[in-house]
Amino acid sequence: MTTARAFPVFAIVFAVTYAVAYVIAVEQNYALFTYHPAIEEFGFLVEPPREGPAMYWYGWIATAGIVALVAGVIACLVPEQMAKRLWSGWSWAVPVAAMFAFGYLLRGFFTR
Amino acid sequence: MSTTFLLIVHGLLAVALLGAVTHQAVSVWLPIHKPANSFVERVRGVQAGSYATAIIVLYLATATLGGIIYPAYRLGIRVVIEQLEMWSANGAFELKEHFVAVGLGVLPAYWYYWRKPLAEDQIRTRAILTGVLAFIVWWSFLVGHILNNIRGFGS
Repeated sequence: MTTARAFPVFAIVFAVTYAVAYVIAVEQNYALFTYHPAIEEFGFLVEPPREGPAMYWYGWIATAGIVALVAGVIACLVPEQMAKRLWSGWSWAVPVAAMFAFGYLLRGFFTR
Repeated sequence: MSTTFLLIVHGLLAVALLGAVTHQAVSVWLPIHKPANSFVERVRGVQAGSYATAIIVLYLATATLGGIIYPAYRLGIRVVIEQLEMWSANGAFELKEHFVAVGLGVLPAYWYYWRKPLAEDQIRTRAILTGVLAFIVWWSFLVGHILNNIRGFGS
């Protein structure tokens, strides 16, 4: 596919994969790196807290971003006829589902 | 640079983003097909496409700045909110961080669906993506505002 034709496929697959990968990264704590704000240090992958809390949010975004980037590039290689059948609505439906998932996972904060 | 200064810049960027995405969302969901005669009609009748790039830049800038000041929140504010047992406020911020992160993933699609004439189903996709981003921005703005009211600006 040409770049112009491939981009919508990339964008849809990126949005879908990123949302799914982010939920999994948060739930399973697959952070690419850890930040220790109290001592202003980064650590590779998931590390336990050191002299204060550990922050994994940046690492979860990095994990999801890399997974989505790889999936998006691979999706650009599929035949054009198959790519044309990809529903554009997946680009919002899966992220919205991910947001509902977080609402469910964090419901404990609102029911105490 | 002081966290308070960065927090103020973060807030100002958020205001600009809120205004842009609200204009765009209103014009997409409540379009007007006649010359605008009132303030509300002019809001509905803006050139929505012209906001897309600005919204992406503002979203990235606001989220990046939020990420820079996040450690100060984690160390100095969240601990206090937990001690005060303000679980709803804490949970609202947790949702904010996840919603903003999810929003980052839809930006390429949002950009694509605002840059060319589209088929009917893609127009719907564009409208919903705009609505999703508008919801994320409104949620984040309100939650950030509430938390700042609880414990902000060097309190």
